[in-house]
Amino acid sequence: MKRRVVVTGLGVVSSIGTGHEEFWQNLVAGTSGISRVEGFDTSRHQTHYGAEIKSFDKREHFSVRKSRFIGKASRFTVACAQLALRDAGLDVKNKDDVGVSLGTTFGEAQEIEGINEVWVRRGEDKGDFRAIRRSPLDNIPSNLANILRLRGPVRIFATACSAGNYAIGYGYDIIRQGEARTMIAGGSDVFSRVSFTGFNQLGVVAPEKCQPFDKNRKGMMVGEGAGIMVLELLEDALKRRAKIYAEILGYGLSCDAHHMANPDSEGIAQCMLKAMRDAGISEKQVDYICAHGSGTRQNDAAEAAALRKIFGDRIRSIPVNSIKSMLGHAMGAASAIEAVACCLVVANDIIPPTINFETLDPDCDVDCVPNKARKKKVDIALNNGFAFGGNNSCLVIKKFEKE
Amino acid sequence: MVWSGGEISDFDPAAILGKRGLLDLDRSTKLFLSSVELALDDANMEINGENSSQVGLSVGTTFGVLDSYCKFQREAIINGPRYANPSLFPQTIANAPAGRAGIRFKIKGFNTTISTGMCAALDALKYACDFINSGRIHTAIAGAVEPLSIEIFAGLHTLRCLSGSDGGQGPVSCPFDKRRNGIVLSEGAVSFIAEDKAGALLRKAHIYGEILSMVSCFDPQRLYRYSPNGLGMVKAMRMALEHAEVRPKDIDCIFANANSTLEADQIEARAINEVFGDAAKKVLVTSVKSNLGETFSASGGFSLAAALGAIEKGFVPPLINYEQRDPMCVLNFALGGNPNSLPISRVMVNTFSMNGANSVAVIGKCE
Repeated sequence: MKRRVVVTGLGVVSSIGTGHEEFWQNLVAGTSGISRVEGFDTSRHQTHYGAEIKSFDKREHFSVRKSRFIGKASRFTVACAQLALRDAGLDVKNKDDVGVSLGTTFGEAQEIEGINEVWVRRGEDKGDFRAIRRSPLDNIPSNLANILRLRGPVRIFATACSAGNYAIGYGYDIIRQGEARTMIAGGSDVFSRVSFTGFNQLGVVAPEKCQPFDKNRKGMMVGEGAGIMVLELLEDALKRRAKIYAEILGYGLSCDAHHMANPDSEGIAQCMLKAMRDAGISEKQVDYICAHGSGTRQNDAAEAAALRKIFGDRIRSIPVNSIKSMLGHAMGAASAIEAVACCLVVANDIIPPTINFETLDPDCDVDCVPNKARKKKVDIALNNGFAFGGNNSCLVIKKFEKE
Repeated sequence: MVWSGGEISDFDPAAILGKRGLLDLDRSTKLFLSSVELALDDANMEINGENSSQVGLSVGTTFGVLDSYCKFQREAIINGPRYANPSLFPQTIANAPAGRAGIRFKIKGFNTTISTGMCAALDALKYACDFINSGRIHTAIAGAVEPLSIEIFAGLHTLRCLSGSDGGQGPVSCPFDKRRNGIVLSEGAVSFIAEDKAGALLRKAHIYGEILSMVSCFDPQRLYRYSPNGLGMVKAMRMALEHAEVRPKDIDCIFANANSTLEADQIEARAINEVFGDAAKKVLVTSVKSNLGETFSASGGFSLAAALGAIEKGFVPPLINYEQRDPMCVLNFALGGNPNSLPISRVMVNTFSMNGANSVAVIGKCE
C-alpha cells in the first residue's frame, strides 16, 4: 500500500503576519503586505515599494547569542519551523527519522551584500570576508537541523522561485520512500538588494501595487518570508491523534527548456498534467488553483493560457487566485507560503481573494476571486510555482479524509 | 599569502561547446555545460523532441553563482542600480547552470538544483535516482559544479581554512598526512548519466557501474564545526552498507571525503576504522582531493567518477602527497608504490559536509 503523507503543522513568517493564524486572518481579509522599502535606500531605483517584513522580532524566537551567529534567512527558517512544530505539537529532538527539505533563491544574500558594500567603499583588500561563512545556501537547513537537533536527511533546493514546491515535493518523496517519517519542509528567502535591483532592471516590478490577472497589471513586488509545514506519515499522525490539515497527494515538475526569464505555457501545462497524474486525479476533480500569479504581463498570460489548455471552458468555474497580490513575491519561500495557504484553504473551505483587481484581461480569462474572499468547498487544490530557468512545479493538496 | 588553487587554467569552453551562445554565461555555467556535453557524448545519448520530457537534470552547486552575484551587486553599487546589466541578473540565481543546461540540451523532465555543500553531488545523483526508481522518468543527468572565485578564496583565506593561510607549510593538499594544514581551493564540474538498468541494457549502453545504495543523514553539532565524534559519518557509512546489503569486508576501496584539514581527516579516519573494524586493515583508502583539491559541491562527483573508473580499470588511483604518517589517521592508504591493481567490484564514496550533512554511496560493478 502506498504510504500516505499528511500535513500536521504550519508555520509562516510573512509580511502580513507571523504564525499561520495571523497570516490566515489577514489573507482572508485581503490585507496588503506591500509598503515602502526601508531596508535600504531606494532613491536611485525605479520603484520604491516591496513586501518587506517589518513586524518580525527575532528576540521572540532566539537567544541573542544564537541569532548573532546565523543569517537572516536562517532566522526566518528557524522561527518558522518552531512555529510549525509547536502547531503540530511535536517534539523532534534527536530523532533519526526527522529530516529537513527547504527551498531558497538567494539564501543568506544579506551576508554577501554586506561584504560587497565594504569592498566597494573601502577597497578589495579591506573587505571583511569572514561573513562568507554565513553565506552558503546549505547553512539554512543546517542551522535549523542543528538548533532542533535533527538527524534525518537534510536538503536545500536552490531552484529559484519554485524552490518551495520542489522542497515540499521531495520531503513528501522522502517519507514515501521510507527514509524518514517526519519532514520539516518549506522555503525561506530574505529581501535582497540584488533581487530588487535585478527585477527592477528587467522592468517587471510594479510601482506601488501588485495586480495579478488584471488588464493593467504593471508587474510583481519583491518580497520575503518563510513558509514551513510539518509532513508526517499518516499512521504516525493518526496514532498521536494530531490535527491534520491536509494530505499531500503528489506533485509534478517540468522544465520549459526555452528561456531563462520568460515563462512558456506549454511547459506549465506539462507540469500541471504531470502533477495530476502523479496524484492519480483527473482535471475534473480540481476545485481550486493557487496560481503562481506573480503579476507580470508575461507570467499571468502564460499561466492563464496553460490553464485554458488543460481545463478548457471549465476554467471559468475554478477559482484561481494569487496571494502574491498581498504578499508580493517571496522568491524561494513563495510557493511554500502558498502551499501553507492551500492547506488552510482545504481545511477551512474559504478561498482568499486576489486583491487590487480592477479590470478583466481577456488574455487572463480566469476567475481570480477578485478582492473578496469566497466560501467554497475545496477538496483538491493545485499549487503552482514557476521560476527562472523555466522551472515549473505543481503540488497537489487534498482535504484530509481517512479513507 | 596563499597563491595556489586548482584552477583550470586551460579551460576552453568553445572547444567543447562551440562558440555560439557563450557570451552571457559565467564560469560556473560554462564549466557545467561542458561536463554535460562530454557526458552525453560519452553515453552516446541524444536528447530530442521524442525523449526530452523523459529526461531530468539535477545539479549540485553551493557557491556556483557567488561570483556573478557579487559582480552584479558591485556594479550596481558603483554605477547606481539603474546601470546594472539586466541580462546578467538571471546569472546571479543559484539555478543558472541548471537552467542554461536545460535550455541548451532540451532537458524537460525536471530541472533541480541542490546546494548541500560537499554532499551536493551525491545528493543530486540520489535525487535523480529517486525519480528513476519511482518510475517518473527513465534517464537523468546528475552533476555538480563549483567554480573558483575571488570571494570564496578571500573568505576561506580570512577564515584560515586554506592550506598555508595560517603561515606554516603549504599550500599542499595532503589528506591524512601529518603535514596537512588546510584545503587547496579548486574548481570543476562533473556530470553523470543515470539510467534505469533495464533501459540501459536494452539500448546496449556502456555501463560504468551500478548504484547499490545512497544514503544521507545529519549530525547536529555546534555551528560551523565538524562533529568531533563523527557519529554522523559512522551512521551514514553503516546505513550505506546495510542498504547495499554488503558487509564491510566486501568493500574493496573507499574514496574518502578527506580534504587535508586537520580535524576532518582525523575524524573520518577514526569513523572508517570504527565501521570497518578488522576489514579496515584491508580496504584501500584514497582521496581524489589529494590530486584535485577541494571542489565543495563537485568533490563527491569527482570521487564517484574516479570510483567508477576504478571499477572499470581495476585500479585504485593513489593518494598522492602522502609523506608523513599521522598516528591519528591510520588506514590502508592506496599509495603510489603499492600495487593498486586488483579486481574491484564494490566501492564506497564518502561525502561529509562541514555543516553536519553526511551522504555516502556504495557502487558496484554491474552484473
